[in-house]
Amino acid sequence: MKARHAKTGRLLGVVAGIAVLGIALQGCSSGGTPKASDSAADLDGTGKTITVMVGANTVYPTEQKKWFQDVSDQFEKTTGAKVAFETYASANDELTKIQTSVISGQGPDIYNLGTTFTPTANATGAFVTLTDADWDKIGGRDKFLQSTLGISGPDAKHEVGVPFASRPFVMAYNTELLKAAGIDKPATTWDEFTAQAKKLTSGDTYGLAVAYADSFDPWKFVWAMSVQAGNPILDGTKARLTDPVTVKAYETYFNWLAKDKVVDPSAIGWKSAQSLAAFANGKAAYLPMTTSTSQVSLDTSAVAGKYAYALMPTVPPGEKTLPKGGKGATSILSGDNMVVAKYSKNQDLAFALLKQFTSPKNQVEYNKLFGDLPTNAAAAKTVEEGNDKLVPVVESASKAVGTPFSGAWGDTQLALVNVVVQSIPALSNGSVSTADIKAKLATAQSTAQAALDKVK
Amino acid sequence: MSEILDVPLRRPSRSEAAKNARATSKRNADVTRLLPQPLLVTVIVVLLLVVLLPVLYIVFASINSDVSVASGAFFPEQLHLDNYVKVWSTVALATGLLNSILVSGIVAIVCALLAVSTAYVLVRYSFRGRLTFLRALLGLQSIPGTLMLLPVFVLFSTAATTLGIQIIGTRWALFVTYLTFALPFSTWVMVTYLRGLPRELEEAARIDGASSWRILTGIIVPLSWPGIVVSAIFAFLLGWNDVLFASVMTSPDSRTAAVALQVFGATQEGGAVPLYGQMMAAALICAAPVVVLYLVFQRYLVGGLTAGGVK
Amino acid sequence: MTTTASAPERASAAGRPEGTTPSAGRPARRRGRSPNERNRPFWMLLPGGILMVLVIVIPLVLAIVISMLDLDQYTLRSWLQAPFIGLGNFVEAVTKSTLLRSIGISASFAAIAAVATLPIGLFAALATQNAFRGRGLVRSIFLIPYVLPTFVVATVWRTMLQPGGVVNEGLDALGIHTGLWLNGPQSYWALIVVQIWSSWPFFYLLVLAGLQSVDQEVHEAAAIDGALWWTKLRYVILPYLRGPIALALIISFLHNVNGFTLPFVLFGVPAPQDVEVLPVLTYVTSFQSFRFGLSASMAVASLVLIAIPLFIYLRAVKLDTGDEGGKR
Repeated sequence: MKARHAKTGRLLGVVAGIAVLGIALQGCSSGGTPKASDSAADLDGTGKTITVMVGANTVYPTEQKKWFQDVSDQFEKTTGAKVAFETYASANDELTKIQTSVISGQGPDIYNLGTTFTPTANATGAFVTLTDADWDKIGGRDKFLQSTLGISGPDAKHEVGVPFASRPFVMAYNTELLKAAGIDKPATTWDEFTAQAKKLTSGDTYGLAVAYADSFDPWKFVWAMSVQAGNPILDGTKARLTDPVTVKAYETYFNWLAKDKVVDPSAIGWKSAQSLAAFANGKAAYLPMTTSTSQVSLDTSAVAGKYAYALMPTVPPGEKTLPKGGKGATSILSGDNMVVAKYSKNQDLAFALLKQFTSPKNQVEYNKLFGDLPTNAAAAKTVEEGNDKLVPVVESASKAVGTPFSGAWGDTQLALVNVVVQSIPALSNGSVSTADIKAKLATAQSTAQAALDKVK
Repeated sequence: MSEILDVPLRRPSRSEAAKNARATSKRNADVTRLLPQPLLVTVIVVLLLVVLLPVLYIVFASINSDVSVASGAFFPEQLHLDNYVKVWSTVALATGLLNSILVSGIVAIVCALLAVSTAYVLVRYSFRGRLTFLRALLGLQSIPGTLMLLPVFVLFSTAATTLGIQIIGTRWALFVTYLTFALPFSTWVMVTYLRGLPRELEEAARIDGASSWRILTGIIVPLSWPGIVVSAIFAFLLGWNDVLFASVMTSPDSRTAAVALQVFGATQEGGAVPLYGQMMAAALICAAPVVVLYLVFQRYLVGGLTAGGVK
Repeated sequence: MTTTASAPERASAAGRPEGTTPSAGRPARRRGRSPNERNRPFWMLLPGGILMVLVIVIPLVLAIVISMLDLDQYTLRSWLQAPFIGLGNFVEAVTKSTLLRSIGISASFAAIAAVATLPIGLFAALATQNAFRGRGLVRSIFLIPYVLPTFVVATVWRTMLQPGGVVNEGLDALGIHTGLWLNGPQSYWALIVVQIWSSWPFFYLLVLAGLQSVDQEVHEAAAIDGALWWTKLRYVILPYLRGPIALALIISFLHNVNGFTLPFVLFGVPAPQDVEVLPVLTYVTSFQSFRFGLSASMAVASLVLIAIPLFIYLRAVKLDTGDEGGKR
C-alpha cells in the first residue's frame, strides 16, 4: 500500500542517482587522447575497422557505394583493416553528428568536411593537429597543390585538415545567348557583368539566374566582392561587416533584381536548384556561383552542348581594375578536407587511409567517378590534360582565396545570409534602400564581433 | 435514459410521432447518425479534395524530372517512372523501411500496452502523487526535442563507457528513445479513454476475487481497443517520422527510412539539384505501409460498448 | 494525504456504504471495501516510470545543468569543465537574443493552428463515424497528411508556395493577387495553413476514438426524443468528447510550439523574421552557432513560460482530475 508506493518512488530515485553519477564520471573524462601506436612500420590492422563519415552523393549514388567497397578492399590488402563508411545528408547533419561525437568521445575516426566548416571543427579542439611526422604518414605535405592547404588550419604549423577534393566556384554561361547578343567573351569585372546581363535580357530570358533565397549562395557573392576590394570581413580581432565596400556589394547584389532587372522576379524565392533549373531551361544567360557538379544536370537538359564555364569576375563593383589591397579571388577555397578525431583509437591506421585517399592514382579515379578536382598536384595535372570544359574550373581552384580561419566564421556567414533573408520582403516590393542595408549590416556586425570576441 | 437530455426539446406532434413509429426500424440503423446527409457529404468531399490535391502534386512530381519539379511545374513534362526503381539503389531504402517498421512497430505495441497499464493505475486508484504524476506526464510533452538531443546522447554514451553496453548505433537506442518519448502522450490518451469506461464490470470481477492483472488483461484491454489503437498509431508515427534523433543515433545498418529520405533532399553547395522525383516517390512508398496498417486496424475504431455486456 | 475528495463518490459508485478513509500506517485489510485502497498495483507503474526517469527526466536535468554553463564549441570536449555562469545565459537569452519575440510567434501560431484544426477534425470524425461504403478508404485517406513525413510535406508546400509556383498561379487565375508566401508578413499565415493541413488528422483520430465510447442507448434515447442533429450533437455527444477534445487541443498546441521540422524545411535558415519560431531559434543557436549553453537556457526558459498557461489550462478544463467513472 503506502509501503509499496514508497518503494516504487525510492526505486526510481535510486535509478536516477546512479545514472547521474555515471554521466558525471563520463563528462569529466570524455575527450581524452588515447595513446596512438608508435611506429608506422608495425601497422597491422587485422580485425580493425576505420569509420569514415562522408556526404551522401546524390548525383552518383551507385558509384559511391561501389567506391566505398573498393576503398575498403584496397585498404584491407595493404593493412588488413576494413573501412566502414557513414553518410550524412547535409552539412547541418554532419555538424550535429560532430557535436554529439565530440561531447561523448565516440564516433567516426575520420570526417570528410566541407572546407568552410574546417575552422568550426578546429575550434572544438577535438581533431588531431598534424605534426611533421603525421604528414609523413600521409605521404608528405608537398604532394598537395599548395593552394588547397589554405584552409587546413590557422597557419601552416597548426593544420588539422588534409585536402581531399577541390570544388571551386565558377559561372556557367549560355554560349548561344552570348553570341546572339554580340558578346565575345564573358565579363571579367562585376560592372561589365551587369552591363552584359542587361544586353542579354529580353522577353522572358534574363541575363542572370541568381538564387536569393538560398541558404548558402548569397554570402559568397558578398564575400567575393568584399575581398576583391580589400575587405576580408574578419580582420584579425575585428569584424568589418559595415565597411563601405561590403555595403556596395549588397547593393550590387540586390540591384540586379531591383534596378537593373536582369534577374527573373521569381528569383527572390529561388534556392540554387531553381536558378540551375532556369539556366538549364535556357531562360538565363549566366549562372554564377556554380561548380562543376552542375555538369550532370546541364548535360541532360535543354542547354546541353550550348554552355561553358568561366571564371567569375575578379574586379569589385565600381572599379575597373583590382584596387590596392584587394585580392583577385575567383572563388572561396571550396572542397573537402579530411580530419582525424582525437578520440580515435586507430590514428595511425587513419593516417594510412588518408595516404591512400590522396595518392595520385586514387585521386584521378575519384575525379573520373565524381567529377571533383584532385588536391594531389600530380593528379591535378593528369586531370587537366583530359578535359577542356574543366580548364576554367582548374584555374579557379588555383586563384581561390580561403575564408577567414576562425571559429567565428560560422556565425559571420549566417549573419551575412541573414541580411539577405530579412531584406527579401523589401526586395519583392521594389528595392532595398542603402539605409536599410546599413542598418541590417550593423546588426550583423555586432553578431559577428560578439562571436569573434568569444574565440579562445 | 432521457434524464441525460436535460434540455427542453421539441415535442413531436402527433403526425410526426406516427411517422416516427413507422420509420423506427429504418431509424434503428440510422439512430447513430450524427450529421445530416448533405452536410456529411459536403464535409467528406471538401476534406478529400483538400487532402488529395497536394498528394496529387506529390504523385505527379514523383514521375517528373528533378529540374522540372525545381522550376515549379505541376504536370510532368516527361514521364520518369524509373524514379520508383532508382529510389531503392540511391539510398538503402529497403533497409530503412525494414528498420523503421521494426522499431516503430515494436514501440507502438509496447507503448500501447505500457500506457494501458499505467493509465489503469492512474485512473482507477488513488495514491499520493497521482495528480502530480498526471500533470508531470503532460508537462513532459512540452519539452522540445532539440533540447534533449545532446543530453540523451550523453546518457547513452555513458552507458557505453561505464556499463559497456553499446547503445548508440543500434536499434535499441531508437527503441528506448521513441518508447519513452511516446509514453506520456499514449498514457494520457488511455487516461482520457479509460475515464469513459464504466466501473461495474471491474467491480464485479473484483468481487469474484480477480487480481489486478486479470482485470487488466481480461476486461480493460478488450474494452479499450479504440483507445489502444489510437495510442499505438501515435507511438508508431512518432518513431516513423523522427529525423533528429535517428540521424545521430543510428549506424548505416540501423538507419531508419526517415533518415534515408533526408538524402534525397540534400543539396551540395553549387550545382546539385535535390532528387525531387525520387524524394516524392520515396515519400509515397514510406507513407504506404502506415496507411495500409491503418486500413487494417481502423475497423477497431468502431461501435460503442455493446449494450448487453455492461448491464 | 492518500485519498482525494472524491472518495465518497467512488465508494457510493461501488454501491457500498461509505467506508472510512484509510490512514497511513494501517496494513491492507482484506475486506470488501472499494478496491482503491488495497492491492494497488504500483508495479504496473514501474516500467514506464523507470524509462521516463532515465530517458527524459535525467537528460532534462542535464539540459538544465548545461543551460548554466558557458558551453560552446571551444568547451564542448570536456563539457563538465565548462565555466559555470549561473543565470548568465538566461539573462543573455532574454535581453540580447530574439527569444521573447520567438516565443510570442510560436505560442500564437500554435494556438491559432490548434483551435482551427478543432472543427475540421471534429466534423471529419462525425462524418466518418457511421458505416458507409468505402468508409475505411476515406478514413485512411484522411490520415495521409499526418502520415507523410513532415519534411516531405514541408518540401511539397514550399515548392507550391514559391513565387511563380502552383498556388500563386492558381490564385492569379482566379483574380486574386497575393505576394510572397515564404518570406514577409504572409509567411506567418503560410505556416499556419501548412500546419493545419498536416495535423488535422490528429484531432480527427482522438475525436474518433472518443466517439466510440458513446453507447448505442444514448443514440436511441436521443432519437426517441426526436432531437435534431444539432441539438443532439451539442447536448448529448459533445459532453462525451470533452475529454478527447481538451486533450487534443493542449497536445496539438504543444506539438506546434515544439515542432521543428516543418518551419525549418518550409522556410530554411536563417529564418525570416516573421516566422522565426522557437525550435528553429534554439536549433540554430545550438547546432549552427554552437552556443549550447545559451540554447539550453532558451529552451528551459520557454519551457517554464509555457508550463504556466499549461497548468492553468489543465485546471480550467479539469483535464487532470476529470470525472472519474464516466458519464452515467
